Order: sequence, then C-alpha cells, then structure tokens
Amino acid sequence: MKKTGLTVVLFLLLLTIIAPAVFAGEAGTEAPAVTAVTANANINYYSMAALACGIAIGVAAMGAGIGQGLGLGKACEGVSRNPGASGKITTTLIIGLAMIESLAIYALVVVLIILFMNPFHI
Amino acid sequence: MEQSHALIQLPGIPSFVTYSWLAMIILVTAAVIFRTTMELVPRGFQNFIETLVEALYDLCEENLGHHWAETLFPLIGTLGLYILVCNLMGLLPGFDCPTANINTTASCAAPVFLVTHFYGLKVHKLSYLKHFVGPIRSVPAIPLMALMFVVEVIGHIARPLTLSVRLFGNMISKHLILGVLALLAPAIIPTAILGLGVLVSVVQAFVFVLLTILYLSGAVAESH
Repeated sequence: MKKTGLTVVLFLLLLTIIAPAVFAGEAGTEAPAVTAVTANANINYYSMAALACGIAIGVAAMGAGIGQGLGLGKACEGVSRNPGASGKITTTLIIGLAMIESLAIYALVVVLIILFMNPFHI
Repeated sequence: MEQSHALIQLPGIPSFVTYSWLAMIILVTAAVIFRTTMELVPRGFQNFIETLVEALYDLCEENLGHHWAETLFPLIGTLGLYILVCNLMGLLPGFDCPTANINTTASCAAPVFLVTHFYGLKVHKLSYLKHFVGPIRSVPAIPLMALMFVVEVIGHIARPLTLSVRLFGNMISKHLILGVLALLAPAIIPTAILGLGVLVSVVQAFVFVLLTILYLSGAVAESH
C-alpha cells in the first residue's frame, strides 16, 4: 500500500518536472519578432494551464469520490442496522454528500478561472 | 459573453439581474395570492406552501430555539425560497439562471456573514470574542488561544466565500455539463442531466439554508 502510493506520487512529481522542458522544446522556435515571443508565451501558458487543469480536476474527483463512497457505505450500513431510521439517515447522507461535492466544485471553479479568465493577462 | 441567450433582455442591464427581478416578482405574487385566498382548511397550492414553510420553520426552531427562530426566520426563509426559485429557473430553456453568476450568490452570502456577527455581538457583547478563542481559556493557554484566534478568523472569513462559491460552482457546472452534452449527444442524455439538475438545485438551496441556520445558531447560542 505504502509502496504504490509512493510510486504514484513520485511519478506525478516526475511528470511536473519534465513537462516544461517537453513543451518548451516543441513550442520554442527562435523567431526574432515580438509577436512570435508572445505567441510562444501564450502556448507555454496554455499548455501548462491545460495540463494543470486536467490533473486538478482528476485529483479533485478522486478525493470527492473516495470521501462520498465512504460516507455512502456507512449510511447503507446504518440503514441496514436500523431500517426505521432510514429517513433521517438519508437526509443526513444527502447533506453530507453535498458538502463533500462542494470541495470538488471549488477545484472546478479554480480550473474555470485558469482556463477562461486569463488571470495573468498573457 | 456579451449577449446572452435569455428571452427577456432590458438594455444596459445584465440578464442575470433581470431574471433575479423575475424571481422576486414570482415570489411576491405567490405570497400575495396566498395571503388573499387563505382558508382555514388548506388545499392545493396553500397546502404545498404551508408544508414548505412549516418544514423550514421546524428546522430553524430545532437549531435556534424558539425566540431566535422567530427573529431570524424571515431572513432564512427569504434566502431559501429565493435561491430555490433562482436555481430552478435555470432549468427552463430561454431563462437565465441568476445564481449561475457569482454576483448573485455573493449577494446572498454577504448578509449571512453580516447578520451572524451583528447578532453575535448583540447577544454576547464583547465576550463574543471568547467564541474565537477556543475551548481552553486560561492564562497558561495564551499561545493556544492566539493560534485558535487566527484559525477561527480564517474560518469565519471562509464562510461567505464557501457559501457563495459552492452555490455558484454547482449552478455553473450544471450549465456547462448540459451545454457540452447537448453538443456531443443531443436529446436523451441531456434530459437525464436535467433530472440531476433538479436534484442539485433543490439540494444546494437546502444546504445553503442549513448552513445559514448552523452559523447563526453558533453565533447566538447562549453559553452554558
């Protein structure tokens, strides 16, 4: 368990370190004009932004999925132990799922800002 | 995103503002109709409204106690019904969703923040600061108290932020998913997402109201 977690984290770290070199290599041609440099900066920004947004949403969905799955499992267990309390348990479950979901929504909002709002005015 | 697709557009006014006015008009008209045709034995529309209001009031009273539920219920009920109507309006084609804009949701979350601190100070006066300081209050625990104060202030500032962003994010993601799926696989799958959208609208309005009640009860609770 610990070894696979460590492997995953190291792989992600490797990816983030190598990515700028890869994208700079394929997008950077030595053009003297200013517009080419700006275009290069645009492509660099958007390539990094696309990579970051994909990873961000994936990780957020993973975390929300695990959290909601655990909550749902315990709720099912509670209903199976005491079917009479199923109304209250379902209500509490829905509220809890909405709260956990909102954490993934925060990640989505950050992703939307990065992709559509151009926060660095590049 | 200059020109939105909404049906009613007044010149110079963004469409989410005009549709929030439409939501207000719907709510006030329903309230006036309800008031003028009240009967002792409720039927139909009156029954539905009474169930809704009574459920909301019971939720308030459970958490706030009788006296504060009476004082604070207008704010909570208004926020709940307004957000519910705004959310559901986004599902109709041709209508714009006011809560799919961060301005509307922030305008719903800012009064909650202000009211919690106003009533907290009014009830506890200056010992309201003791709420921020943590469970242990004694001279040897001053470092803990200082740290807890910083953490609590950040938590309190995060509350209106998360209230508004949660509602906004849910609504905008519903619209985005509907838009993307309508491009990819029209007619059947977006209808299923519309069903999910109804659930999300109702649940998010309920969660907003519940969190408001919990924050208010944390602020006005009599310490014992």
